[in-house]
Amino acid sequence: MLWWVAQIMVCMSMLELARKSRRTGLSPIVLALPVALFVLLCLSSDTFRSLENLANVNSQITALMIASLGQGIVAISGGIDLSVGSVMSLTSAILVTADPAWGIPLALAMGVCVGLINGFGVTLFRVHPLVMTLATMTFVQGVALLLHPVPGGVVPGYLRTLAVSQVAGMPAAFFWCTAAILLAWFLLTRSPLGPRIYAVGANPVSAGRNGIAVMRLKVACFVLCSLSAVIAGIFLTARVGAGDATMGAPYSLDTVTAMALGGIQLAGGTGSVLGVVAGVITLGLISNGMNLLGVSPFLRAALTGVLLLMAIGLQRREAIGA
Amino acid sequence: MTGDTVSLSNTTGQWLRKASRTLISLPFAYTAMVILLIVAYFMRPSLLTPMLLLLIARQAAPLGIAVLGQSLCMRVLSLDLSAGGVVVGVSYILTSGLLPYPEPVLMLIAVAFGIAVGLLNAFFITRLRASSVIVTLAVTMVITGVAVAFSQLRSPGDAPEILTELVRFKIGIVPVVLVIWAALLIAVAVFIRKSVFGRYVDAIGANPRAAWVSGIPYVRVVTIVHVMSSLFAVFAGFLLIGFVGVGSMDLGRDLALNSLAAVILGGVTFGSGKGGVLGPTVAALMLTFTFNLLTSLGLGEPAKLMLQGIIIGAAAAAYSVQRKN
Amino acid sequence: MSALVCAAMMISFDKVSKRFGSNFALRDVSFDCEAGSVHAITGENGAGKSTLMNLLAGLFPVDGGEIRLHGKQLSPKSPADARSLGISTIYQELTLLPNLTIAENLFLGREPVRLGRIDRSGMREQARSMMARLGSGMDIDTYCGNLSVADQHLVEIAKGVSADADIFIFDEPTAALNAPEVEKLGELLASLKAQGKLVFYVSHRLDEIFRFCDRVTVLKDGRHVETRETRALTRDGLVSLMVGRVLSKFFPARPARSEAAPVALSVRDLQVQEGGPAVSFDVERGEIVGLAGLEGQGQRDIIRALSGLEPSASGMVIKSGEAGSAPLAFDVTKTVRSGVGFVPEDRKTEGLYLSLSIDRNITLGMLRRLNVWQLVPRRHDVIAELMRRLNIRSAGARQEVGELSGGNQQKVMIGRWLAAGIDVLLLEEPTRGVDVGAKAEIYELLREFTKGGGAVLTLSSELLELLGLCDRILVVRQNEIVAELDGAQATEEEVMRHALVGRADNGVHVDA
Repeated sequence: MLWWVAQIMVCMSMLELARKSRRTGLSPIVLALPVALFVLLCLSSDTFRSLENLANVNSQITALMIASLGQGIVAISGGIDLSVGSVMSLTSAILVTADPAWGIPLALAMGVCVGLINGFGVTLFRVHPLVMTLATMTFVQGVALLLHPVPGGVVPGYLRTLAVSQVAGMPAAFFWCTAAILLAWFLLTRSPLGPRIYAVGANPVSAGRNGIAVMRLKVACFVLCSLSAVIAGIFLTARVGAGDATMGAPYSLDTVTAMALGGIQLAGGTGSVLGVVAGVITLGLISNGMNLLGVSPFLRAALTGVLLLMAIGLQRREAIGA
Repeated sequence: MTGDTVSLSNTTGQWLRKASRTLISLPFAYTAMVILLIVAYFMRPSLLTPMLLLLIARQAAPLGIAVLGQSLCMRVLSLDLSAGGVVVGVSYILTSGLLPYPEPVLMLIAVAFGIAVGLLNAFFITRLRASSVIVTLAVTMVITGVAVAFSQLRSPGDAPEILTELVRFKIGIVPVVLVIWAALLIAVAVFIRKSVFGRYVDAIGANPRAAWVSGIPYVRVVTIVHVMSSLFAVFAGFLLIGFVGVGSMDLGRDLALNSLAAVILGGVTFGSGKGGVLGPTVAALMLTFTFNLLTSLGLGEPAKLMLQGIIIGAAAAAYSVQRKN
Repeated sequence: MSALVCAAMMISFDKVSKRFGSNFALRDVSFDCEAGSVHAITGENGAGKSTLMNLLAGLFPVDGGEIRLHGKQLSPKSPADARSLGISTIYQELTLLPNLTIAENLFLGREPVRLGRIDRSGMREQARSMMARLGSGMDIDTYCGNLSVADQHLVEIAKGVSADADIFIFDEPTAALNAPEVEKLGELLASLKAQGKLVFYVSHRLDEIFRFCDRVTVLKDGRHVETRETRALTRDGLVSLMVGRVLSKFFPARPARSEAAPVALSVRDLQVQEGGPAVSFDVERGEIVGLAGLEGQGQRDIIRALSGLEPSASGMVIKSGEAGSAPLAFDVTKTVRSGVGFVPEDRKTEGLYLSLSIDRNITLGMLRRLNVWQLVPRRHDVIAELMRRLNIRSAGARQEVGELSGGNQQKVMIGRWLAAGIDVLLLEEPTRGVDVGAKAEIYELLREFTKGGGAVLTLSSELLELLGLCDRILVVRQNEIVAELDGAQATEEEVMRHALVGRADNGVHVDA
């Protein structure tokens, strides 16, 4: 355990030193960390190497991947969204309580609403994004519990199929991941919105002087993030096969941890899809590895906390405080 | 003589102006309290008996004490969401039976634990300049994870007798808990008003950049604030453990969010550096009363969460609009 | 707009005035400009050059008179509006995003799009040709944050020039450029001129004005002095148009100085940044020393480094006072504790606690020697006495500082350090945004402070203020002290010559 911590510390400090690239936040270490973990786990555990377990890892990280990609977009635009987990939970509650035909549209509409509230709260009302999304996080969690107090319920059959079946020998989760990654990649590097999101994250005033509608863009980022949380929630619910109004709770901070591990600066303007992917895989492998080693899930949560502390501790900001 | 009268009338005028300004700057908690009492009068008059009110006030004490720390944090533009983690840690130290020491020593260890958590938070926030929300949430995650993982190995023990006795003790009809709360409240209020520390807290809150440029020991002040905040969380934990009587890992789970809501409601706004001690205290009472009212109306946890969310979001937005005008 | 390019396009300023509060920044400025010419706008610091151009760029509205374009009134409401009217401004401060490439910066907000995606190859090609026009072979895929300041300015210029505009405003474009780049800029200006555009060139670099510009307008104190063909002028003639203001009478008399006053602040080899030039000078007790020079030449950095606000500064600074001598650490808290107070230029964001009362603001200085756990001493008498001495006009000590006028706010800021008992005062712009009456009071206050054994180091963009106030003037140019002048004897022309030309033959070389 200590060795692990030391190892990660060394890696993270090298990460800091090697932060040459201005925009992607990628460094050899961000990319080497998941690879090294993978090799290490392969060497130390037979079970890990099994195809079954690898498919399992893929399936475990898919929801985190989708949600983190959304979080990444918000982070690059200079914000942060702590309501991701609650939105996933509420999605789960909606899917098992609403009419099967309406579940998904309703959940998506809810995502748009939460995103708009976050976005307008942050831009129009100038509430700090952490405080604003903490508020929606709490509220949405309440709504989810109100809607579906006890875990259970039936997930529509087609969703279950979409989440757990196999296509050409590959688990469905693989395709969910790939689609989400490609979409986020297109948005950030190929569409005209990409450079604008980076611009707003780096310096909203300069971006505004260059004729960019800063407020609209920030709101859009929050909406995108909430929508990706809805999709992550849909996948997670379908995979678990039951509704649970608290299933998303850990994801709010897990996505932030994945950001920090992937070299995305929470101050905005720096980050990349590849970084998010690397961060998510790192987190997923640590979780899976500890699972295989029989470590208590609570200790795993504690380790995520330690990782989060170290990763954001290495991101120096200008301001002291929130 | 004339000079005296002039200065006297001046100070009365200033006092009046200050009083009216205070009234305007603390509207939400007070008006909300009044509205709540009216609602309760019509829907659940039974809640308004002195006995029940005192009981509710006693129940509000842990939150009220945690709020003292949170409001200090917010005044220096930081936040502390680690209260829940601290309480869990304190509960584990006091009730797990892992440490074979007498009760007073255990309580001292709990206090030391609180100081350590405060220093850790402050280190990350001031030295590494990490976001206070993320840091304190992560610290909570670590403490809770470790405590829960270890506490699964053994059944929870009983709370120290000192604490269970303390919370039951009454002076007349007034629970001694309320006296302790009031004493802490007054001590903090006086200290903030009279000490160099308090002046620095005000200065940092009013203009952090100017505080830095004019050489105020910024890092030191913020560090002390975070240590104090964690200490208040330890005291809140003592009371909560006393109330429940046994150790529990669920204790104080919503303390952090409730204290944030109470501080915002109480008129301490983020980035203005303003706010007294009384507003958040009234807000703590008000929140506790509201939760009791909701429970008596048959609305449980979900309604509580939704209300917390609305309060934090709406109050923060409203204050920020008010400030802009 | 473009159809009109070849017509004799004219901008005329007709009795244009602009006021900020009670101060006139511009007063009845009238002159005309022709299309197909490069028109220099020059004058001393604070002459109103930038204000005039900002009116044209739509940053704020005209208060009196009007600007006409082809005889029609022109009143841009916003920078975006100005751009759509065909006016492109290249600001001195950069608006580039450090995390975007040169190409992305050039096309930010107007990216060429094909089938929903950015047409990268098209964009890069255009970007390359835009940079080539400036003679720059920079890799357009470089992130702007990795460029030197000079290169960033080139990109900024390229961005401004690429706009479809008829009028271009260059605000001090060469401040960060080196010789070959300035050369290229000259070619660019010539090509804009050949296309029939009107170019405004704001600068006080004389050689550039004479090389690049066809006509020059000189402003002074917000008034129009002269608009002439540059061919019809000599350098000395231009300088004499820029200077020559009258020194007002409200400066306190300089006391006669004894030869060997003790040194209060001894600065040796102060380097603000590693590798930068080192400066050395002394400030004696009882003396007011001014740092003069054109804006942005490094005066500010020197004062900030001494205040402890530049942690990367190095050098030996010894502060001597009643309590003995000690080297200053480059740390604000320690600097304040050792008796050096700093008054920043921007009192609203860096100086005062606007939401706190006057006595709170002043008391904060007095706490500098106390421990955080100690009680605040009750010193109402001291504060009342100080407020009387400073003549702070207010509703009482409990009034919020934010409600005071600029002059009274400035007095509170200085009063904080006087109450704190410091003996060296570092001031940036001691009277910015302060009305005339309060100015005189502040000068008097500073003089009184030095009479009591204090030492003052100040900088000001108003040269007359330094000439009237200071015992000694150090002229700073490109981060170096190029001349030391006696405040009582120095003239505006003399200081300007040093500031503009640098180490001239007769310049006094100051060094350790």
